[in-house]
Amino acid sequence: MEGLFFNSGTGFLEGIVRGYKAGILSNNQYSNLAQCETLEDFRTQLSATDYGNFLANEPSPLSTSTIADKATQILVDQFNYLRNNATDPLSKFLDYITYGYMIDNVVLLITGTLHERDTHELLERCHPLGVFDTMPALCVATNVEELFQSVLVETPLAPYFRDCLSANDLDDLNIEIIRNTVYKAYLEDFYEYCSSLGGPTAEVMHDILAFEADRRTVNITINSFNTELTKDQRAKLFPSIGRLYPAGNNQLAKADEYDQVRAACEGVAEYRPFFVDMNGAHGSSGDDDLAAASHLEDKFFRKEVHLNKHAFLRQFQYGVFYSYMKLKEQEIRNLTWIAECIAQDAKDRIQDFIPIF
Amino acid sequence: MSGTGARENVFATRMALTNTKLRLKGAQTGHSLLAKKRDALTTRFRAILKKVDEAKRKMGRVMQLASFSMAEVTYATGDIAYLVQEQAKLATFRVKAKQENVSGVVLPGFEVERVQGSDFNLTGLGRGGQQIIKAKEIYAKAIETLVELASLQTAFTILDEVIRATNRRVNAIEHVVMPRLENTIKYIMSELDEMDREEFFRLKKVQGKKKRDTAAREATKKAEDAEQEQAAVDPLLDETKESVDLLSSKDVDVIF
Amino acid sequence: MSTNFKDRNLIAVIGDEDSITGLLLAGIGHVNEQQRKNFLVVDSKTQVSTIESAFQEFTTRKDIAILLINQHIAEKIRPSVDKYQQAFPALLEIPSKDHPYGSSD
Repeated sequence: MEGLFFNSGTGFLEGIVRGYKAGILSNNQYSNLAQCETLEDFRTQLSATDYGNFLANEPSPLSTSTIADKATQILVDQFNYLRNNATDPLSKFLDYITYGYMIDNVVLLITGTLHERDTHELLERCHPLGVFDTMPALCVATNVEELFQSVLVETPLAPYFRDCLSANDLDDLNIEIIRNTVYKAYLEDFYEYCSSLGGPTAEVMHDILAFEADRRTVNITINSFNTELTKDQRAKLFPSIGRLYPAGNNQLAKADEYDQVRAACEGVAEYRPFFVDMNGAHGSSGDDDLAAASHLEDKFFRKEVHLNKHAFLRQFQYGVFYSYMKLKEQEIRNLTWIAECIAQDAKDRIQDFIPIF
Repeated sequence: MSGTGARENVFATRMALTNTKLRLKGAQTGHSLLAKKRDALTTRFRAILKKVDEAKRKMGRVMQLASFSMAEVTYATGDIAYLVQEQAKLATFRVKAKQENVSGVVLPGFEVERVQGSDFNLTGLGRGGQQIIKAKEIYAKAIETLVELASLQTAFTILDEVIRATNRRVNAIEHVVMPRLENTIKYIMSELDEMDREEFFRLKKVQGKKKRDTAAREATKKAEDAEQEQAAVDPLLDETKESVDLLSSKDVDVIF
Repeated sequence: MSTNFKDRNLIAVIGDEDSITGLLLAGIGHVNEQQRKNFLVVDSKTQVSTIESAFQEFTTRKDIAILLINQHIAEKIRPSVDKYQQAFPALLEIPSKDHPYGSSD
């Protein structure tokens, strides 16, 4: 049924985004890139892809951060094009995508304000996707109290901040706790919104967001071992969505070592393989949980790519937009990684990126 | 010959000779001690040089590893530079100075002193925390290498300075002080010899003069004696001839 | 000199963003009562005079034991670096990500 009217509003943009998706680097192109000896070669190789001459005007020597910045800029341009042509409810959906970046930016500004820095210079450090018109207004704030009020008034993030935090919290809590609290609220809200859209969008997005939530839950658990973060605080950071919720979340909230995390994730068939071969590494080398955990993160990335790729298999839904953004982000990470490996002459690690297609 | 080299301005006396000889002896002892010190320092210096070289190579490697771990962090977490810069408050990674004594030279060194801090514990909580912890550890190790290298380098600088000073002293003693003392001794000796010879000659001269004087005196005496004898004989030989003089010369014999 | 070098226990850095981030992660960052940091981030926009004055500040501060400086940044203020002869703080040139180690001596 939804297919009937979908194309009249969104067909064009879906076409565009699928077109963009075709420009995502293929395995072949990746292997070409991985062969490069210098960043100059890298630039030449990239110009043969959809990236075109985006690095042509950059002075040599190239730095990896320039590559990342420029690639992000392309993504931002594409996104803005989509955003400008979108109508409600897609425009709202796209706005939701930006909120995630916005949270990071606001947190950055909070950090700056807390340390009484001139926040204007922070603006250029903000992620371009999370920039909103009223952001410079936040820079006017000289103390956290003012900033909090401006966040409530000026930003779409107001509900998240209002519900979870007070101005005093900004002062007292660790910035990472703030970030994760707000992010949790955001994920839940996004989830809610997708449900309200219904149809295939809800189905696709629920999968992806549930995974995102679970990933955060697991990561927060593992990363909070041996820190001052109490278990109560930890539990508050867990999004109340996802496949681990509620039983797994409860278990994770109490976990204080790696094996317990694994036990908690046993309940979800899809997450089980993440921990399986770690067992071997865990037992044999004994090279602490650290290696295993960073391995896990890698697996999560792979899974994310997998899920996002799947989103493209369904038609008449908004998931493709979200997925495209995520895939593209991963691609930028891959490019940065390869560039980094080339620049630092670490050829043995160059294959550690996550190919998308 | 004693005037060819530099020498000290002393009076050539036996006293000065003894003193100078003592000083030469002192200089020689000092020289050998300093030379020993120099050798010890140089040995140490060479060892440090080798270690510095090794440490530098090691630093190249660990820093590369470290910046690569940073790349991993960026891959997993994104840009955390600003956050980290702002959150830095109290150093948890400090160094402590320690001292080491090599042949009387105090060589300072640094020791790593880590305090358990929780500054960045929660950074990357939602994502990439493990990479951050890993990067933290790798960087901590890298800094340990850097600290080691820094102590070596400080020791290197100080030792270099000290060795140069010691070398200067050794050379100064060897090439300036000792030759001068030796020259002084030679000078004093030659002066003393000269004086001896002069004294000897003078004595000879005096003796010679004395002999001559004695000889002269004896000669006059002989002559006088002879004259007197003649005078005693003459009146016997020629009484009349003497009678003219009888009035003038108060002769004891006349009484008879 | 020996009287005060016991008080020196900080490591200061002048470096590019990546080096600084890593070193700070390890915990060398320090902000003292006067809000003076013991690190300076140098990017392509940083003036040489800023680097120079930071160098002077770090070399004269009494609480710094070791001063680390990225080699490519040291190049920019080479005369000052070469003129620097003191034992404390110990000056150490370190390689950076974009400028791998080239032994200078």
